[in-house]
Amino acid sequence: MVASLQRENRAIGPFPVDLSVERGMPDTSPLHIKDLFSLAPGQVAGLSGIPGSGLTRLGLALIAPYARSGSLACIDVRGWMSPAAAWDMGIEPERLVVVRSNDIVTWGRIVATLLDGLGGVYAEVPQGVKDASLRKLVAKARTQRTPLVLRPVTGELPRGMAHLHLRAREVIWEGTDAGHGRLRTRRTLLDASGKSTRGMERTIEIEDDGSDDLRVIPHVVVPGSQGLARFA
Amino acid sequence: MMERTICVWYPTWALRRPDVPDDRPSQAVDASNKVVACNNLAIESGVSVGMQRRAAEALCPTVLTVVTDETADMTRFEPVVSEIEAIVPRVEIAAPGLVFLPISGAVRYYGGEAPLVERITKELAEFGGDYRLGLASGPFAAYQAVRMTTQSTAEFIVADDERFLAGLDVGTLASQDLAATFRWLGITTLGALADLPKHAIVSRFGTQGLDAHRLARGLDRSVDPRAIPQDPAVESSFDPPINDFEQASFVARNLSQRLISGLAFSGIAPHRVIVTATAGDGTVRSRTWRSADPFSDRTLADRVRWQLRAWIDGVSSGIRGGLVTLRLDPGDLSGSGRQMMLEEDAGSFEEMQRAFVEVQAIAGADNLLVAAPQGGRDPGQQVQWTRWGDEPKPPTHDPDAPWAGRIPSPAPALVPPEPVLFDISWVDGMPEHVRLKSRWVPVLSWAGPWRTVGKWWNGESTADRYQIVTSTGAYLCEIRDDTTYLIAVYD
Repeated sequence: MVASLQRENRAIGPFPVDLSVERGMPDTSPLHIKDLFSLAPGQVAGLSGIPGSGLTRLGLALIAPYARSGSLACIDVRGWMSPAAAWDMGIEPERLVVVRSNDIVTWGRIVATLLDGLGGVYAEVPQGVKDASLRKLVAKARTQRTPLVLRPVTGELPRGMAHLHLRAREVIWEGTDAGHGRLRTRRTLLDASGKSTRGMERTIEIEDDGSDDLRVIPHVVVPGSQGLARFA
Repeated sequence: MMERTICVWYPTWALRRPDVPDDRPSQAVDASNKVVACNNLAIESGVSVGMQRRAAEALCPTVLTVVTDETADMTRFEPVVSEIEAIVPRVEIAAPGLVFLPISGAVRYYGGEAPLVERITKELAEFGGDYRLGLASGPFAAYQAVRMTTQSTAEFIVADDERFLAGLDVGTLASQDLAATFRWLGITTLGALADLPKHAIVSRFGTQGLDAHRLARGLDRSVDPRAIPQDPAVESSFDPPINDFEQASFVARNLSQRLISGLAFSGIAPHRVIVTATAGDGTVRSRTWRSADPFSDRTLADRVRWQLRAWIDGVSSGIRGGLVTLRLDPGDLSGSGRQMMLEEDAGSFEEMQRAFVEVQAIAGADNLLVAAPQGGRDPGQQVQWTRWGDEPKPPTHDPDAPWAGRIPSPAPALVPPEPVLFDISWVDGMPEHVRLKSRWVPVLSWAGPWRTVGKWWNGESTADRYQIVTSTGAYLCEIRDDTTYLIAVYD
């Protein structure tokens, strides 16, 4: 069939043929995080892992598409968040507001208020916030159809709360050597679970070079996980 | 033709303050260090309004420079407004030292324009200072008339408005870009602009051109055909009454946002706002503020704040019993409301504003921040933070400078506000382990050192920066004075 197609099109010049499609080979084109893990309006993602595992960038990537139609807010519990990472993600500076709050009494009210009026919220969760408060916020996000990313400063979110739960397992940096080079690319191994993965835990690896897109490395996705493409 | 209007202007009002002596050259500068007022001694040395502070100080090294404080200026201006108001009830304040008085009613009462002008100048003379008065049809022409005055000829009364406007330069229009385009087309005066057919101006320059054409013909802004809400005024009542100025300022900002965002929903914005405050003892005070450009929530909040301060600190002994009600009545509405961005709708904008105001009330004004990129070598320097709702601060580090030695991309996501002590164990000059909380983690690879040389003349020392990679992540650290600090985390 390929040969006949090439024969037919020889008269009009080179004709690109995707042999992998023709032969039923798996698609090896780069898969982007937004294709795999786009948060629908009202859905909640939970991130867990220590600082340095790239979860801030990942959380921002999940809500970044909503910056096109509204503003985004980040709740900064530690007071360390730098908006430069969000700008690199393609979020315009005027579309991002940072709220610094580590008070567990007012934290819930702040997140709830932001869910009322913004396009998306990335919230670090301070230690000591009760599960009931988190469940109320999840319900509020669903009602307001505002995507919410929760990142506990310590520990993890309670089971079953997040539509998508991502836990950082391992981080590998490329670009540096014994005093040479510079940080270039980070590869993070993540365990994904939740309703988005139909209750099954899957392992994926993402690559982040500091640009506005995180790429998923296809070969790490466990066999039979083509359903991941239907996460959205 | 527009209603006859008097414009009273104090060109050096910003200098009329106790700490500015009359016998030495003085200038007032705004937040962007631009000269907004200067006295005669400074003018004689070459200083002029619009000049940068540094240039002015180069021309006149002995010049005394003060930074304008509109709130204090308005407090001092309030008695002047009260005196004028006793003669002409409809006073519209544009800024401290600049008021407009529509006089159609007062002219009938005083028996003509000349007696009225005489009466006003007599009152103004009692206050002293360099005051000017212009009289023409409409605020635009009156303002242009008052700009024609000099210290020796403090009054300018326009008898023939059409001729007066026709002789004005197109540079008097608000938009200098539009004026430059007109000049390029050979249209140098408002008279030449007024002679052009309206439809030609509209088709070429749109609404902006139409407004300019109307001003040139002695008319005001175009009347907006949109449906305007029945009662666009906003009001807040307080029980118990507010006695704290900071609290009142916060309320003023909230109310201004409500008014402007509510009007923006209909695509309109006010050029005039009546601020009415009811005191605990039942006293009702009211002032009208005018702006050539439509008010934004920030500019309106500023004016309401100035007015409240003027009432509180003024000679009329404040707002007795506290502030019970604050009301903002918009007027002179135009279609120059805020232009929404693509895919943005007015409803969501209003909700967002409301959410931010509420969060500001919960978390505190200092904890709701927006950021802008700027220059700098370290990640912490490259972000300029501003409180939401405040005017963006000018960058402290030039964003266009090359900044050799800046930390390369990717940008770290976590940057502590102050460098944090960080433990690294070294073997033969190479990092071997880093301490994360209580455990030591081996260093897998690293980059650096990248040396920065600080401002040694300010006591800053040199520092070596490293990118350290461990199995748990990457960190940017700095060694300064034999101490290691964590300055960013690549999260």
